[in-house]
Amino acid sequence: MFLARIDGTVVPAAKHASLEGCRFLVAQRLESDGSSTGEPIVLIDWMGAGYGSTVLVSTDGGIARERYGNTSPGRMVVAGIVDQVYIPQPKVGMRRSA
Amino acid sequence: MRLGIVRGHVTLNPSIPELLGKTLVVLEPVSMANLIANNGQAGGKALIAVDALGAAKGQLVAFSEGGEAANPFWPAQVPVDAYCTLIVDSITTGNAQDQKTEVWK
Repeated sequence: MFLARIDGTVVPAAKHASLEGCRFLVAQRLESDGSSTGEPIVLIDWMGAGYGSTVLVSTDGGIARERYGNTSPGRMVVAGIVDQVYIPQPKVGMRRSA
Repeated sequence: MRLGIVRGHVTLNPSIPELLGKTLVVLEPVSMANLIANNGQAGGKALIAVDALGAAKGQLVAFSEGGEAANPFWPAQVPVDAYCTLIVDSITTGNAQDQKTEVWK
């Protein structure tokens, strides 16, 4: 699982039959400093994530398989919309513990 | 799923029986900068995926990788690890209040 920021929506011209009615978003994976990786990924979304929101992405296809049937190739699914990410910064001059 | 531009097709002769009758496409994964620029360039390392949707050269597709790529052939066991899940018609960035921009097509 990783965090990603939503960049927009994808309108499919054709898609696998099992994914009928799905909402697809284009997003970029985030590094721990909040920067994006520059490689777009396509997510299946049923949480209603919008442009600019940060989401938790699960790369386990099991959830898509459960929802859309055994033949579903869906893999990256929005597992939740992030409320807050807390990464404590080390204090300046703090001694590193052994 | 990642995004890639279809660069061509692959045929096999001979091939293992599991891959008989399956269309193989050459995909080049596209970077965000090239996607927004819509310059026809991709910039990723090319890979081969199974395609059942009939994607043509130059089209943008989203492909699944890993074990899930073999799911469409369930319950048959096929050695496939990339599968074209959808063909992109358009991609829109921004929201309704903001400026909306179509970055593909």
